[in-house]
Amino acid sequence: MTNSTHNAATDVMESPLHHHVAHTNAVDAGVVMTEDKFRGHLNLRGNPQDADFMAAVASVLGMALPTEPNTSVRVNGFVAYWLCPNEWLLIVASGAQGQVEADLRQAVADKGGNQHIAVTDVSSGQTLVNLSGSGLAQLLQKSTVYDCHESNFPAGKVVQTTFAKTGTTMCKLEDGSVDLVIRRSFSDYFFLWLADASEEYGLRIA
Amino acid sequence: MHHIYCPYCEETREEEEYSYTGEAHIERPKDPAAISDEAWGDYLFFRSNPRGIHHEMWYHAAGCRRYFNVTRNTQSYEIHETYKMGELPTVTAQVPTPAPKAAQQGEAS
Repeated sequence: MTNSTHNAATDVMESPLHHHVAHTNAVDAGVVMTEDKFRGHLNLRGNPQDADFMAAVASVLGMALPTEPNTSVRVNGFVAYWLCPNEWLLIVASGAQGQVEADLRQAVADKGGNQHIAVTDVSSGQTLVNLSGSGLAQLLQKSTVYDCHESNFPAGKVVQTTFAKTGTTMCKLEDGSVDLVIRRSFSDYFFLWLADASEEYGLRIA
Repeated sequence: MHHIYCPYCEETREEEEYSYTGEAHIERPKDPAAISDEAWGDYLFFRSNPRGIHHEMWYHAAGCRRYFNVTRNTQSYEIHETYKMGELPTVTAQVPTPAPKAAQQGEAS
């Protein structure tokens, strides 16, 4: 009796690190989380009706900014998310944000000088997380108020909404996975929610 | 729960993404020093609080972070329309309340 490794008490108890260690890195995980860390995140604001501004940005990024609500454009490692009619999130290669920011300012200045724009480096305040797997659809149903069905959330669409009540920017990718931009200050909370919500599917950190 | 159409995101979203921010179309006096205390107090504190059609501002806090206007029936909670800042409502009360002025809140950004 004393050499038994199980007893009724520990079978129902949770360790303080329960969510961190109990369900992660399951072999046949239904939810796979990959952090695309240290990418450059730039918040860009400007007037989309201003042809000079749009041309200047396009000359730096090599693509036109998306002007349709809830859309994104992705070219050569640059990703531009539509955030509101005059605001975009640019996600660039790790470490490139300083150069892109300088290039954007220079290009806009070259086009006409005193345009009312803002480029803000927000890289350190948020991170990019990719979620995929067979349990993803159900995980999203539990976690967000947005309707993430394929018919409402097709590839390329960007939605700013709540994920477990924290703010997030979600983008559906061509492969069916979802990119989430989450706040640094909410990352612990996000992960604990993710570990708990994916318990029945298994969670793997790739 | 309301489902509210955001005129900037051009989508209907859950109420959880929004917050209510008070009556719409309240114009700030151009020269506060020139008006009476009573008029300033009316501007600052007094709201119409109607039973029925009400024009109010909502903020898409978790979404595009834009303010916009909503025409809502305070009795039935029905939302008749949502429209951008600077626009005028098309649905108004049967009994005319003071005519809504063009929004002076500007483009909240």
